[in-house]
Amino acid sequence: MSMIIENKKVSSLWLIGIIVAIIFLLPFVVGDNWLSLMMEMIILALAASALNLLLGDCGIVSFGHAGFFAVGAYTFGLLLYYHISPFWVAFISGILAATLFAVIVGWFVIRLVEIYFALLCLAFSQIIWVIVGTWYSVTGGDDGLNGIPVLSSLYPVKNCYYFVFTVAGLCLVLLYLIRESPFGRSLHALRDNRTRAQAIGVNIKKHIYIAFIISGFCCGIAGILLVVLLHGAFPGYAGFIKSGEFLFVCLLGGMYNFAGPIAGAFLYLFLHHIITRYTEYWPLILGFGIVLIAIFFRGGIVGFAIRKISYFSIQKPE
Amino acid sequence: MTLDTIILQIVSGLSEGMVCFLCATGLTLILGSLKVLNIAHGSIYMVGAYLFFTCNRFLANIPGHFYISIFLAIIGAAILGGIIEILVVRPIYKLKDIYQYITTFGVTFIMMDLMKIIWGGSYYTINYPVFLQGPIHLSGFILPKYNLALIILGFIVFIAMYLFINKSHFGLVIRGITADRTMMSMLGTDVPWAYTLVFMMGCALVGLGAAIIVPITAAGPGMDVMVLIKGFIVIVIGGFGSLGGALLASIIIGLANAFGILFIPKVAAGFPFFVMVILLIFRPWGLLGKPIKLD
Repeated sequence: MSMIIENKKVSSLWLIGIIVAIIFLLPFVVGDNWLSLMMEMIILALAASALNLLLGDCGIVSFGHAGFFAVGAYTFGLLLYYHISPFWVAFISGILAATLFAVIVGWFVIRLVEIYFALLCLAFSQIIWVIVGTWYSVTGGDDGLNGIPVLSSLYPVKNCYYFVFTVAGLCLVLLYLIRESPFGRSLHALRDNRTRAQAIGVNIKKHIYIAFIISGFCCGIAGILLVVLLHGAFPGYAGFIKSGEFLFVCLLGGMYNFAGPIAGAFLYLFLHHIITRYTEYWPLILGFGIVLIAIFFRGGIVGFAIRKISYFSIQKPE
Repeated sequence: MTLDTIILQIVSGLSEGMVCFLCATGLTLILGSLKVLNIAHGSIYMVGAYLFFTCNRFLANIPGHFYISIFLAIIGAAILGGIIEILVVRPIYKLKDIYQYITTFGVTFIMMDLMKIIWGGSYYTINYPVFLQGPIHLSGFILPKYNLALIILGFIVFIAMYLFINKSHFGLVIRGITADRTMMSMLGTDVPWAYTLVFMMGCALVGLGAAIIVPITAAGPGMDVMVLIKGFIVIVIGGFGSLGGALLASIIIGLANAFGILFIPKVAAGFPFFVMVILLIFRPWGLLGKPIKLD
């Protein structure tokens, strides 16, 4: 048994090494368009992984993660747009604002269960949506903020690419470490059986609250990175559709694996990129995809792959 | 601020609240008895509004076309709801909540695009019916007839629903499947079909709500998400699956909106959310709901 684990560790180290090398070398191979797409993918992957800390690991659904995304993006964007603060101060403030928002929202929502939880998260994200969508004099309303100035060294796509991947990669590593820590294990315990988890001394509310704050924190960073990439912030960042996109990405990839949301994000945006070339009815196809996956293909692609691989590699676990 | 203005605001707020009630009561009925959060509810609302508009246009020469169109919109919404229930919702009843949310969410996407293909992206509105046009003079106050009609209709629907659920046989079945689905099935109720009927009923109510709002606002893109969120707020304020709670919450939301626009128009759009947040600090389970504890 220990042999298998050792082998697994070595092979996964190899895998991570190869992935990092590919990411590092990619700008020398492909064009700028593909680099932008890659950046969008990793940003969506980060946001979905942040949501997955609640969805997959705690087993609770939030409809409002776009709220944290938008709070981070708009705080960062507004500070730069009106030249109030330098880049790094805006960066830190964006993260702090998203975290603070998570602290406030979390205080309300952890007292509720299931559907109420999801709905209240939605309501808070809609408050943000109303504010950024109607406060024309500051946020530009429906048109959003265009041409937000970022660091001049981030304008070349290659530099931006390395920046985005470094930040997002660090956050993903953080999320992974949290998931594998004793804290993450107790989240899994309370996901599977709340009563039992409580009986062995897991403070459910406190654990969910902390997970919620971490989730909001990472989601805020994803929002900031999208502003860095697009040089703009739009009300759609806080929209209901955006929250649904995050949920769908988790589901597509498989929410019970850490790699799930990441694979889901890459596949989702890749398909989006390909399909919108041929047809304008992307939501129609997306809708059918969502329904079919939810009804027939619930493990997601990573869950499916792992089942297949483990079928071949370990025939009979002892 | 004269008494006239206040009365007018109350009437307009109440009528808005009643439309809100019609939309939310279907949602809360489905949520309460089927334990399914129907995200596609907003889409059915939008289909109802479009159907109403189209029927109105085609039947324009027939007397009473307004009322026939309302009827047709209700039927159309109910049939659509039945189709969605059988094809999409039925396979996922026993699964975790997340799959229900996400599947009906997918339906929303499909419907959104289909409606764009059929009706395009424009806004449609129609005139008030002749009978309900213009103002009415009531003991010195001048009030719009249509809004008064909406308020009366809202109360009629509330009373009808209350009697239906508490006095009729099918209402008994609904209360039964709300309490214990397995036991009802053992006692010989065809639970899946009962579910379909409840789902269709909820959709019929939202079809009615959609039809009567078209003369006031318009049928157009984006109305699905707005009404869905309003419905969610009403459910949260009123309490999970509570009919009276839905009515009370709708009235509160309607009045808060009407007076919010009067006094502080800039933040009026956020008003329902603030009401909800304030309420949740003191009564997390809603006005008339049963307390649910996390631990």
